[in-house]
Amino acid sequence: MMQMKTQTEKKVVTGDYAAAHGALLARPKLIAAYPITPQTFIVEHMSEFIADGKLDADYMAVESEHSAMSACIAAEATGVRTYTATSSQGLALMHETLFVAAGLHLPIVMPVVNRTLAAPIGIWCEHNDTMPQRDTGWLQVYCEDNQEVLDMVIQAYKIAEDERVLLPIMVNLDAFILSHTVEPVDLLDQKMVDAFLPPYKPKHAYLDPSDPMVVGSFAPPEYIMEARYQTEMSMQAAREVIGEVTEEFADKFGRDYGGLIDTYRMDDAEVALMTLGTVTGTARDVVDSFRANGKKVGLIKLRFFRPFPARELIEATKGLKALGVYDRAISFGSGGPSWIETRHALYGHTDIPVTGFLAGLGGRDVTPENVGMMFDSLLGLAKGQGMPHVSWIGTRGVEP
Amino acid sequence: MAAQALAAAAFREGNHALAFPFFGAERRGAPVLAFARVDSKKIRQRTQVYKPDYVVVLDDKLMGYVDVTAGLKEGGTLVVNSPLPPEKIVTERPVKCATVDATGVALEVLGVPVTNSAILGAFAKATGQIKLESVEKGIMDIFGARLGEKGGRKNADAARKAFEKTTAGMSVGGRKFKPVKKWLPDYKELPLSLGLRVTMTEAGRVGPGSFDVNKTGSWRTFAPVLDDAKCTNCLICWFYCPDGAVVRGEKHVSVNYDYCKGCGVCVEVCAPKALKWVRTEEVEEKLPSEAIA
Amino acid sequence: MTTVKELPVQDYFTSGHTACPGCGGAMVARIAMKVFGPNTVVYHPASCMLIFSSTYPNNAFKVPFLHVLFENSAVCAAGIKRALNRLGKSDVNVVAFAGDGGTADIGLQALSGAAERNEDIIYIMYDNEAYMNTGIQRSSSTPFGAWTTTTPVGSVHAGKVEFKKDVPRIMMAHDVPYVATASIAYPTDFIKKLEKAKAKKGFRYLQVLAPCPTGWKAESSKMVELARMAVETGIWTLMEYEDGKYTVNRTPKFSPVQDYLKAQGRFKHLTPEDIKKIQDWVKSKWEKDKALEQVYK
Repeated sequence: MMQMKTQTEKKVVTGDYAAAHGALLARPKLIAAYPITPQTFIVEHMSEFIADGKLDADYMAVESEHSAMSACIAAEATGVRTYTATSSQGLALMHETLFVAAGLHLPIVMPVVNRTLAAPIGIWCEHNDTMPQRDTGWLQVYCEDNQEVLDMVIQAYKIAEDERVLLPIMVNLDAFILSHTVEPVDLLDQKMVDAFLPPYKPKHAYLDPSDPMVVGSFAPPEYIMEARYQTEMSMQAAREVIGEVTEEFADKFGRDYGGLIDTYRMDDAEVALMTLGTVTGTARDVVDSFRANGKKVGLIKLRFFRPFPARELIEATKGLKALGVYDRAISFGSGGPSWIETRHALYGHTDIPVTGFLAGLGGRDVTPENVGMMFDSLLGLAKGQGMPHVSWIGTRGVEP
Repeated sequence: MAAQALAAAAFREGNHALAFPFFGAERRGAPVLAFARVDSKKIRQRTQVYKPDYVVVLDDKLMGYVDVTAGLKEGGTLVVNSPLPPEKIVTERPVKCATVDATGVALEVLGVPVTNSAILGAFAKATGQIKLESVEKGIMDIFGARLGEKGGRKNADAARKAFEKTTAGMSVGGRKFKPVKKWLPDYKELPLSLGLRVTMTEAGRVGPGSFDVNKTGSWRTFAPVLDDAKCTNCLICWFYCPDGAVVRGEKHVSVNYDYCKGCGVCVEVCAPKALKWVRTEEVEEKLPSEAIA
Repeated sequence: MTTVKELPVQDYFTSGHTACPGCGGAMVARIAMKVFGPNTVVYHPASCMLIFSSTYPNNAFKVPFLHVLFENSAVCAAGIKRALNRLGKSDVNVVAFAGDGGTADIGLQALSGAAERNEDIIYIMYDNEAYMNTGIQRSSSTPFGAWTTTTPVGSVHAGKVEFKKDVPRIMMAHDVPYVATASIAYPTDFIKKLEKAKAKKGFRYLQVLAPCPTGWKAESSKMVELARMAVETGIWTLMEYEDGKYTVNRTPKFSPVQDYLKAQGRFKHLTPEDIKKIQDWVKSKWEKDKALEQVYK
């Protein structure tokens, strides 16, 4: 990451606070949320901001996540900026509403604290809550640290509300590893954020008796194909917009996140691992130690899962002899979602083996040793040693 | 249900058959489309029928604004529910045509103007493609399952009666149709999120309050007719009309036949009995022409 | 108080919608919109009324209109209202029109939540006593004995076994500013309640009996008559719960329930014992209503 250009207040805060503070700076007019571990700090902080007069907004303490997203959809369709946050079961309960938010092109921003989805019930980190939402039409970005969470909430509004995009976005942060972990975070200057993020003034969907509009009509087959195509076009347009917003943010605030993906020590790498979420940070250290031992390994950080960065991955993997893809979720009967998507993206562009690693499901810690094992396998794979399509790391009875 | 019963009848004769509706948004009484395919071998095609051998019209008022012979194959037959003889049926081009007063038959046999069973008798007679006995069995299979043995039997009787009363001939050509316009924007023009303000399109007005472009007058089989002299202008009929088809006037109300679906609520609530309840065919000539076409 | 004659000529729910002939729901929408007027935003859940009034690109409502989903009418209306307030348009009426399925069953959670928060909206349940949109399946608002496609008349069971859920009393338990029931057969009472609902602030709940010719298996011309008989027999109570006070607006004639039941195909299988059960239910319902008047004076 680049040097900071501006000196603003840095405070030691949790990932949940970072997600809430990002929303505070974005000045939403309506927050509707339902508490769920480990997202609860976010809704508590939002309530406090309003109670203390720091944020002039309505807080709707609704009776379910389904209602939280419904309220955001209705308010956003009326014409105001909204905010909510959830996790795990809450996101699953929202499922049908997510399609509506995207289908109506409402640029809602929602941090999701990635938590395992029952059964078995647990509260720790897994990506099996957000991954099943991949087909809803929401953009998805996965964060590595608390600073990225805050910075992405701000950028998320800017990306989502861009007239070329107008789609909702999930800002994903790993349960506890970010949500409940404190670290120093630059809390940004309100005036600078205001200059970066203009107020939300929709032209495509609003409810105003002086200029009536129908939003959410029942539609016969004559119209739905075109509407679906529009959503796909919006998602494609988001690629460019993400690039622009990344650049503008880097320019104004001094942190460049790389866009759809970020890379680390890939210059002459022979093998690379792709990660998403907090494992990325651990993997950076592992890359350094392998490099110190003369092993040419590199790292690709998958930031956006939707839109999926196909072109960027084709470019980033040129010259590699093997690629490993780490997932914190499994699509049963197939493999890790980002492994599946990566192989699809690279099809016809590369001959190298692309293998999948699963680790950290249900909140199990992913250690440097686990990641080191992945790099060792990849180095072996590059030399022609065989390995399964998908490897379960740190799983009793299936240890490689 | 008519298409289903026809399929059941064809199956009774050892054929394979498919029958399916076009699932529209209309409620009971609205014009609807249904299709049937019959073949001696298994039918695999699952699309709508665009080039039918036979077209069956259950409501002849539809022929005023739908070119019912548009897809009909050369040499195909049109079967129409109408008290008029085939020679009085005006279509876009002359076609083989059979008519029967199925509404009359239905009122007589069933006591309600539901013509979907009677019309099948006419179909059997007009096309010769299926035996009357099979049609009756098909009706028993489908209507009987829904209405019980007795209800099924009655509907089969309606078909038999209609069979007897059907006359065949040729329709008269020369009816001109304005091309039906539909607003079909491509993805660039379609408003994002389908959000619509009041907008004029090549196919008319769309958006909030634009449903009045849809003339629902074609739905009715009965129509209210007002005796102006008896109307006290109490406005109770105007209050209740679910279709906003009663128009307020200085001295008395009037009926807007463009929208009147013929529910009869106004007739029932009229205290001075100024509204009469009349079968549509008997009054239609007296109504404004756009109410029919 | 506005009379029928004083209602505006202008419709904000237009002709050309595709409701069945005689639809009680369409009557409710048209009359309610005359009272609410143009400064209104309408929300619809998935329902008969959504389908017959909002088929893209046409819509029967002349005012802004939103549909999101089925079970969230109350919270969506609340979201609209709060957003309008934020935009400086706090004088706009926000009205949700939902059926009995969308209200008494799948929508009850969101309804309760919005009522408890006293959201500033008008919620109208047009009660046609079954899931008519999907083809006449029972709801918790379907009356005892009624045939529906999921309470069929079979050799073991015939019709619905349970009595109707009393949603107005559930709403009263939330102690919201206004709860009322109405019947389309009593125009001045209905108009008065719509006007009260419009004038008040906070959560306002109005449940209107809206006969359905298709689902009730009755003559379309008889819809108003049936709505009247429901009140005269005592099957449907016209009540108001206003700022903590409970009032029965009309003492029924207590005409025999079978007059009402026999006019509808959905009840034609009822036995004399069933009919007696319904008659007894009417009696106990009336006793409860009178008791409530004493409790909530």
